[in-house]
Order: sequence, then structure tokens, then C-alpha cells
Amino acid sequence: MKKLRGITMGLVSALCLAMATSAMAQGNDLSVGRKMLMEDNPGELWIDQGKALFLQKRGPKNASLEQCDFGMGPGKLEGAAVRLPRYFADTNRVEDLESRLLTCMTQLQGFDRAQLIKQAISAPASRGSDIEALALYVTSRSNGMKVNVSLGHQKEYDMYKAGEYLFYRRSGQTDFGCVQCHGEPDKRIRLQDLVHMTSKAGAQEVAATWPAYRGAHYVVRTMQWRLNDCVWQMRLPDLKYATDYSIALTTYLNRQGNDAVMQVPGFKR
Amino acid sequence: MKTTLIIQCSLSAATGLLLAGCATYPDQATTRQMAEKMVFEAFDASPAHMKRLEQDRSQQICSKVGDAKLSQEEAAEVVKLARASIQYPASGQLSGDWKAGDRLAHDGAGDRIRNGKTENRKENGALCQNCHALAPGEINVGNVGTPLTGYGKQRGNSEAIVKYTYEKIYNAWVYFPCSNMPRLGATGHLTPEQVTHMVAYLLDPQSPINK
Repeated sequence: MKKLRGITMGLVSALCLAMATSAMAQGNDLSVGRKMLMEDNPGELWIDQGKALFLQKRGPKNASLEQCDFGMGPGKLEGAAVRLPRYFADTNRVEDLESRLLTCMTQLQGFDRAQLIKQAISAPASRGSDIEALALYVTSRSNGMKVNVSLGHQKEYDMYKAGEYLFYRRSGQTDFGCVQCHGEPDKRIRLQDLVHMTSKAGAQEVAATWPAYRGAHYVVRTMQWRLNDCVWQMRLPDLKYATDYSIALTTYLNRQGNDAVMQVPGFKR
Repeated sequence: MKTTLIIQCSLSAATGLLLAGCATYPDQATTRQMAEKMVFEAFDASPAHMKRLEQDRSQQICSKVGDAKLSQEEAAEVVKLARASIQYPASGQLSGDWKAGDRLAHDGAGDRIRNGKTENRKENGALCQNCHALAPGEINVGNVGTPLTGYGKQRGNSEAIVKYTYEKIYNAWVYFPCSNMPRLGATGHLTPEQVTHMVAYLLDPQSPINK
């Protein structure tokens, strides 16, 4: 497995180099290289790792996650991720995939929440974190299904409206909200394409492609990581993991992306 | 606490659909209150860093949700606040060193926070390259902002243009209230001295941007 990952990394580096070279030759059209990379997504390797972690008896309570309820009933994963974030009666709050994993890993397996959060976002070029692998595995069980975030519960609705508000909220020394970079089509920061999230297609791209393999980091990244990295660029302080702020934004974006066909792992530069 | 403006399920009920529960739209003030609380609970930071989350009056006005438009009064208030924010360098010279400006234009770093620590740098980059096309032939440039290629060549470098350019970089909202352009000088991201270098980079005939 380790060796396989080493080979994959080598391949990815070679492809990146090829991509850069071809980009120079063809102006700045990077799409060809990106498509090539997507066809053989190294993120696939994390699905099996996540499945093994899901089924393994772990933690102080020596339990697997097979009794974890992601909203479709204990252990039912098909179609669960496409409906997240959603309201959970047992915690009386709206949870996204990663906060739900935290709930189950603490309640069923007895892990320490603070410790899980500390390890949730892995170092680049590492084996990745347990939560990253688990998030990908659980989401992959909805592959091919349509994103269907419902706002039937009052708390889901409140979360959605808060997320919308936060998407447009400007602050800090850059005066940035999300919309400053993600509100128009065909925009780039330097050479990086920006997703046009106020369009249906853009929101669908967000809703259907996380967790994703991040080429530059050689690991699978989650939506919580993505938001964390955005606020870092915006010059805001460290975003805590799985707070209502990020769950609200995710609820807003995923709902806007309803009817997208889930296909993870996504591939990001 | 919650004021209800519109009942989401009323339409569904009218068309004869049965719903298990009915969610109601929170009004704007309630949404704002909930979301603002989320902001201040979501970050792990020192009191000084938490201040970055607080919106000033202009940012509040400029955070319109969705298609909501800025009213004339609001635009006028933003312009007035922007006008009042502008500070000029002690030297009085609004155009500095284009070479320093060139370097800063291609510097996208500065003042980012990771694990409670601010980037350890001598000065902040001016971030231009992230969003604007710069010298001719540069490929690694963004397109969120308008291209600046040939900026000085097209405008010349009269005193009026120098002043306009300085103010536009220091606080773009004087001329374009609530535009996407950060108020680089007014928010403290750049010093007045650094802004003069950016002015020179844009206007000096020797600058690569005008070649």
C-alpha cells in the first residue's frame, strides 16, 4: 500500500510537470492536464482505508461505526451523504458529515473529541487522517446519487439562511466575503480557476466533489479543510473544526447544489 | 425571539401536500443575529485577532445578500467614510519607487494567521497579481479585477492621475463603493509608503507594466 502510494505520488508529480509544460505551450489552458489527472484519481486509495476504519472495532469502547446513523438509520450509508447537512434529533442540531462523524466517534467509540479535532486535518503528503478517509468512504456510498439537501426542519432552514448571510459577509483587512472570489463566472486567482458558486452549476460542483484528492498536498481533503483554507487566505483567524459557521456555509452551498450527481473523490489541483 | 415573516408550508398546504413539519423563514434581523453569533464562536484566536472578524460600518453596508442592491444613501455613506479614511504619506510624495512596487505587486503573502501565529514578514505583499493582469506577457495572473497592463501608458502621469491612483489603491470605495477591491490602505494591509510604490509601478513610464 505504502509503495503503491509512493508510485502514485511520483506519477502525479510527473503529470503536474507535464501539465505545466503543456500549459506554457498552449497559453494557459490547464484543463487538459486536469482531465488527465481526474481519470486516475489517487484519492480512490482512501476509500478502502475509510471502509476498513469504519468496520474496525476501535476506540475506548471497542466499537465499529456500523451503528452510526447518518440520517438514514444506523449503518445505512447509501444516500446518506447526499442529504447532509441535516438535522439530527439525538444531538438536536444540524450536522454536516464531519461533525456527524465526530458525534459517532465520541459517542459510539469513546474517542476524545478534542483529540479527534486536533488530528482531523492531516499534514500534506501524510497518510491522511481517519476522519478524511471515513468522510470519503461514507460519501462514496452515495456516488451516482443526487444531492438532496432538505430544509424541512426549522433548524435546517435557519442554518441555510445563516450560510447565505455568511457567504456575503465581508470582513478583515482584505474586505473579503466568499462572494468576492466566487460570485462571477470564469474567474481565476492567478492561474487557479474559481468556482462560480452563485450559479447552479458551480454550487453543484461544490456539492458533488468533496471530499477530494488535492494534488498539491497528496492527500484527500474535506469541505471543512476547504473552508479553513479560504478563511486563511481571507486573513481571518484559525477556523475551528466543525462549527456552525462552516456547517451553515456547507448547508447553503449544498442546498444550492441540489440535484448534482455525487462523484467522489473529486480531484483538485 | 423568532419573528416569522413568511410561512414556507402555507403554499404547500394550499396545494394539498401534506408535510410533517413546516419550516419558517427567519426574518433578516434574526438571520443576522444567528449568523453573527456563529462568526464569533467559530474562530480560535487572541482578542487582537478576533478583531478582524468585526465589521466596520462600510463592510456592513457592503455585505448585501444575494441580489440586494446598494441604495443611493448607502453608497453615499460608503464614499464619505472612504474619503475620510485616506491618509497621505508624511513626505507628501504620492509616487514612490516602481521597482519596490513591482516586487510588492507580485507578493500575495502577509498577515495570514496559522495556529494563532501571524506570518512573520517584514511587510505585507500588495496582492495585485492574484486578481489583475500586470506587465505584458505575464501568464500567472488572475482576472477577478480589471487588467492593469498599460495602466500608465493609457492615462499618463499628471498630478491628477497620480492622486486618483493613490486614492484608488488606498481606498477603492471612494470611487467604486463596495467594489471587490480591498481597501488596501484604509484597512491597514498596506502602509501609505507602500501605496506610493504601487502608484509608481502603475504610472512610471519605466515600469514593466507600461512597456
